[in-house]
Amino acid sequence: MKKSNDLILHIFIFVTAQLAWFLLLGLWIYWYVTNYILLNKVGGKISPQIITGTTNIIALVSGIVLLVMLSISMSLIFVYLNRQLNLTRLYDNFIANVSHELKSPLSSIQLYLETMHKMPVPRDKQHEFLNLMLKDVKRLNHLINSILYLSSLEQKKMVKQVTYDYYVYNADSIIRQVIGEALSEFKFPGKSVSIEGHVDCQCVIDRNWLKIVIKNLIDNAVKYSPNKAQIDIRLSTGTKKFYIEFSDQGVGIAPRNQKKIFSKFERIYNPASPNVKGTGLGLYWVKQIVAYHGGKISVESAGLNRGTTFKIALPIYEVSKKRYINRLLRLSKKYKPAMKVSDE
Amino acid sequence: MNENTAILLVEDEDTLAIGLEFNLSAEGYRVTRAADGLAAVEQIQSSLFDLVILDIMLPFLDGFAVAEKIRAKDPQTPILILTARTELKDRIRGLEIGADDYLTKPFHLDELLLRVKGMLKRKKWYKQATEIMPVYRFGDNEINFDNFTCRAGDKTVHLTAHEAMLLKYLIDHENKVVSRKELLAEVWNLNSDIETRTVDNFIARLRKYFESNPENPVYIKSIRGVGYIFRSEPSQNS
Repeated sequence: MKKSNDLILHIFIFVTAQLAWFLLLGLWIYWYVTNYILLNKVGGKISPQIITGTTNIIALVSGIVLLVMLSISMSLIFVYLNRQLNLTRLYDNFIANVSHELKSPLSSIQLYLETMHKMPVPRDKQHEFLNLMLKDVKRLNHLINSILYLSSLEQKKMVKQVTYDYYVYNADSIIRQVIGEALSEFKFPGKSVSIEGHVDCQCVIDRNWLKIVIKNLIDNAVKYSPNKAQIDIRLSTGTKKFYIEFSDQGVGIAPRNQKKIFSKFERIYNPASPNVKGTGLGLYWVKQIVAYHGGKISVESAGLNRGTTFKIALPIYEVSKKRYINRLLRLSKKYKPAMKVSDE
Repeated sequence: MNENTAILLVEDEDTLAIGLEFNLSAEGYRVTRAADGLAAVEQIQSSLFDLVILDIMLPFLDGFAVAEKIRAKDPQTPILILTARTELKDRIRGLEIGADDYLTKPFHLDELLLRVKGMLKRKKWYKQATEIMPVYRFGDNEINFDNFTCRAGDKTVHLTAHEAMLLKYLIDHENKVVSRKELLAEVWNLNSDIETRTVDNFIARLRKYFESNPENPVYIKSIRGVGYIFRSEPSQNS
C-alpha cells in the first residue's frame, strides 16, 4: 500500500516539475516575442542598426534547447529513480526470503552440533542427526548455488556459463519422459498426476532445463495445495506452438498478483497457503528457461482457492523460428556441457 | 522434576523440530509437536501446556495469530517465540502480543534451554505469588491476578500476561524504585538495553487502565533517569 502511494507521489512531483518547466518555457518565449515586437516598433525609429535579428534568434533557440534538454534529463532521472526504487524493493524481498531460507538450515545444523557436543548421543541417533545435517547442508548449498547462478545470469554471461544441451526430440515422448523423471524424484506423499492429450511434433529442448521447469511447477502445485495435490497435465498442439498445461486445485492466485509471480524474489502472501517457505526464485527461473527455449509461459487462475493453471507454449521445430532454434543447436554442438545443472 | 511439564513445540521445519524434541525430552519435558498453525491451535484447544515454543512463519496460520489464540484461552501460558525474523518491529510485535520471550534463529541450544527454564520458573513464581493474594485493590481499582481481569473504576480491563506480571512486580516492590533494566530482566527475562522502550510502552498502558489522569499519574510514577515506583496510597506532596 505504502509503496504505491510512494509511486503516486513521485509521479505527482514529476508531472508538477515538468509543468513548471513548460510554463517557464512559455513565459520565456512570450517575454522574448513581446520584447522583440517592442524593439522592432521602437528601435526602428530610434536607431535602426541595433536590430540584429539573427543573433537574437540564436539566443531564443539555444534557450529553448536548454530548457528542453533539462526537461529530458529530468525525465531520465525520473525513470532511473523508479528503477532504483524497484531495485530497493527487490532487495528487501531478497533479504526477507533468503535470510529465512539460509537461517533455517543453519540453525538446525547448529542445533545438532551443539547437541552432540553437549551430551553423549546414542549411535542410531547420531546417524539420524548426521543425515539430517547433511540434508540441511545440501539445502544450503542448493540455495547458495541458485543465488550465485542468478547473479551470473544477470550479468549476461549466459553464453559460456550455461549448458547448451539442446537437441531435437519427439515432443510427446520427451515431455512424458521428463515428467516421469521429475515425479520419481519427488518424495511428497499423496500427489496424483494425470497426463492427457498428445502432441505430434518435434521440439528442441535441453532436457535438464525442462526438468527444472517441470519440477518447479510440480513443487508449486504441491506447496500450494492445502489438501492432497491433484495435478492435471494437458498436452496440445497449435499451429506454430505446442502447449503444456499444468493445473492444480490449490489456493490459486488473485488476478492482481498473477503478473507479479514471475518476478524475481516476489512472493505472494496468502494466509491460506500451506507452505510459506521459498526464495521467490522458482517461477522467475521457469520463465527465463522457457524464454531460452523460444517459448512463453502464462498463468491463469479463476481467483483465490480456485486452482491455478500454468500454460507453457514452446515452438514446434518443424515450423517456427528456425534461426533462433538452430543457433541453440549449433551452440550445443560447439559447447559441450560446461557445467552440470543442479536441479535438486 | 520436569516430567510433568508439557511443552508444545510449533515448528514446521522437520529437521529443526526433531532436534529440539530430542533435546527437550532429554531435559525431561514432555514434548508435543505441531507442524503448522492450525495443528497448533487444535492442540491448544484440546490439551493444556505449561509452555509453548512458537515459530512465526508457519503454514496456514502465522505464529502471531497462534499466540493470540493461546492468550485467549489461557493468559498465563508462557510463549517463547523462536524465529528467523530478526527485525525490531517483529520483536516488538511479538512481545506486545503477549509472547514472553523472543529468540532468533540461529540460536544456541544452552540459551534456549535456559530461557525455557527461566520462563517456567517465572510462571511458578507468579502462580505462587498470586495464590496467596489473588485479588489486589488500590484506589478505585481491583485486580484479579488469577484470571487477569481488573475493574478500574466502572470499566473492566483484561490484562496480558506481561502487563499482569509487571504490575505484580511493581506491587511487590511497593514504595521502592525499580529500574527499567531490572523490570526487563525480571519480567521479560531479557538482558538488553535496547528494549527498555518496551517497558515504557507497557507502563503507559497500565497507566491508561488504572490512572484517572494518565498524563499525571499518582500510582505509577516515573523517577527520571532511574525507573518507576508504585505507591498504593497517592502521596500529597509529590
